[in-house]
Amino acid sequence: MLPQLPIMAHLVLGYPTLPESLRTAETYIAAGCAILELQIPFSHPTADGPVITVACQEAVKQGVTVSDCLAAIRALRKKYPEQEIMVMSYLNRIYVYGMYRFFQDLGEMGVGHVIVPDLPVVGPTQSSPPKGAGSSSSSVISSPQGVILSESEESEAEGLKNKIKSRPSASDSSLSLRMIPLEMDKITEMIGPAAKGEEWVRPPLVPVLAANIPDTRLDQLIAAGYDFFYLMSDFKITGSTFSLHPRLREIAGRIKSGNSAARIGIGFGINTPEQIKAVLEVADYAIIGSALIVAQQEGRLENYLENIAHSTTPAV
Amino acid sequence: MTLTQTTYQDQILASNGFFGPYGGCFVPEVLLPGLSEIADAFEAIKTDETFLAEFRQTLREFSGRPTPLTPLPRLSERLGGAQLFLKNEGLNHTGAHKINHCIGQALLAKRLGKRRIIAETGAGQHGYATAAVCARMGLDCTVYMGRKDYERQRPNVYWMELLGARVVPVEDGTQTLNDAVIAAFKDWVAHPNDTYYLLGSAVGPHPYPAMNTFFQKIVGEEIRRQCLAQAGRLPDVCVACVGGGSNAMGMFFDFLDEESVRLIGVEAGGRGTRSGEHAAKLLQGQAGIFEGYHSYFLQDGDGNIANTHSVSAGLDYCGVSPVLAWLADAGRVEFAVASDAEALEAVQTLARAEGIIPALESAHAFAYAFQLAAELPREAVVAVNASGRGEKDLFITMRHFQEESLIQYAKNLLTI
Ligand SMILES: Cc1ncc(COP(=O)(O)O)c(C=O)c1O
Repeated sequence: MLPQLPIMAHLVLGYPTLPESLRTAETYIAAGCAILELQIPFSHPTADGPVITVACQEAVKQGVTVSDCLAAIRALRKKYPEQEIMVMSYLNRIYVYGMYRFFQDLGEMGVGHVIVPDLPVVGPTQSSPPKGAGSSSSSVISSPQGVILSESEESEAEGLKNKIKSRPSASDSSLSLRMIPLEMDKITEMIGPAAKGEEWVRPPLVPVLAANIPDTRLDQLIAAGYDFFYLMSDFKITGSTFSLHPRLREIAGRIKSGNSAARIGIGFGINTPEQIKAVLEVADYAIIGSALIVAQQEGRLENYLENIAHSTTPAV
Repeated sequence: MTLTQTTYQDQILASNGFFGPYGGCFVPEVLLPGLSEIADAFEAIKTDETFLAEFRQTLREFSGRPTPLTPLPRLSERLGGAQLFLKNEGLNHTGAHKINHCIGQALLAKRLGKRRIIAETGAGQHGYATAAVCARMGLDCTVYMGRKDYERQRPNVYWMELLGARVVPVEDGTQTLNDAVIAAFKDWVAHPNDTYYLLGSAVGPHPYPAMNTFFQKIVGEEIRRQCLAQAGRLPDVCVACVGGGSNAMGMFFDFLDEESVRLIGVEAGGRGTRSGEHAAKLLQGQAGIFEGYHSYFLQDGDGNIANTHSVSAGLDYCGVSPVLAWLADAGRVEFAVASDAEALEAVQTLARAEGIIPALESAHAFAYAFQLAAELPREAVVAVNASGRGEKDLFITMRHFQEESLIQYAKNLLTI
């Protein structure tokens, strides 16, 4: 086996076709990329730049479904059981597929983490339910008409609420997030308690943070036990010109000192070996998306990966 | 939904961002500090008399409020049913109700010390109002507009530019309102600290749905006063068109807890019921979470957002206010559709019979109200929100009514 590269390599499932995207994944694996980030295509990827947006739209045009994507991921897991895989999706595709079912499916196939850019993370991340949560009804999740929290379920969520409340309060920060409905039963419920009697196997979410994260909020997330943090290189969308915000070093330090086991990736706009080097001084992984897609479009994906491998020290 | 102690109004005003299961704040974390700042400020101004006095004064002095409630006696007579009244939001400065929430939000942005304003626009009315308010308050203004809307609402592009705004045509996707919203969010991600996103309807993440409802509710408050004075009673029915829901919520809010007042939102039926041919999200959409909020969206069944169509750019949008989604489920607001053709016909009918040219968006409300009024008894009072005036639609309606003259005019313009 090749030494692992500290690279999290992104691709859009179904672009240019589903079989071809799987071959791309195998190319990433063969090059030794430590983590694969597999994005489920969405018609309107609100936080992505033009390259990933077009890739998503092409995949959607071909009618790639969420089920197709899950089957592809399952096949990949089978063939490469050792390969770390993270799945990225915008919220609506998961919501319409069924939140609980989606996380359950991924959990069962051993996907380590899920990145949902338009879902600010909340709540605990353990792979077993907090006491009591596992027994509430599953009707909450499957109804396409919405997430309705009935009276009886409310009490089940109390455990979560109390847990969240007991964490450090954010009120001392100038940006308190006080009025933002984050610590809401509804969001927690949407991600879902397991159906009656079933094992709770939801893979943890990955917080996607930028340099403007208030310290108190960051401390909250660290305390909540998230074990992988995705930092945006700067105030940008994916595929923008690279720059590294000076505050990221401090943020990374804060995460590591709060939880030495937590891993950190930095992404958005990373392309050249120099940029990767700069990122790896701050983080454990460089996350590469648009640049890989462009390399593939231009028929120089192997070259590009080789070039990175040569100029990057393998991860230990 | 049964009303126990709290009323619909209380629930909306005290909302933490959820209206029943709808609403929320589903955005990338990078936007949370900015939204939180706005939500805090909104919470504070709701009861801040100094702020509210300045808001009302600006509405009066800059936008010309109150707008009249105009009886439509000739049409009512011809239809043989209810008495029709028209709330003329088109007489606002810049020609539509949009300026109500633009003034409110711009004052809020100033209070937060933001100098740079961004906005999205569909019909161009929200962008036009934003540009005017920004010019007036000395704020830098950038407006995103889908390329298709940019071309079909060209007069408003020109007005915005004349007012000193930068108008950015968005080439992504279907090049309509939806794509403009996404482009504005992307701008905000790139400038989260110095920029205020002045969102143009009762949609988006918290606090926009509640906040724009709050700034628009003056429309219904005026209707109540005017209707009592002019008709001696409250309206029996209020009818408004629904794009994102700002003019509808503005009209409906004051009557939400009056059980006797029927509230009807009219969606864009476009040119058919097939996906992509209309913009009727409450009647044909499915629950989803997109652009920051949980509501009904037009989708493909597997979580992708569907294309929409309407002759009116302002209704040509895939989502709808989470407040309206909640009120729809509760049965408090009813929904109907009017097609492109019916809306165009309503423009002509209202123009000829009453001397008022409504915006194509508003014409959807009239098309439905005309049908409804004919079925109601003579003593019934139906109020219709003319959310905007029709001048901006010059090239669209002219193409339908006088295509030859339009072509001739375009040719002549080039040779003068
Ligand atoms: C005149 C007019 N009416 C209605 C609308 C639809 O928006 P909303 O449903 O938010 O009132 C628009 C939007 O551009 C508009 O310009």
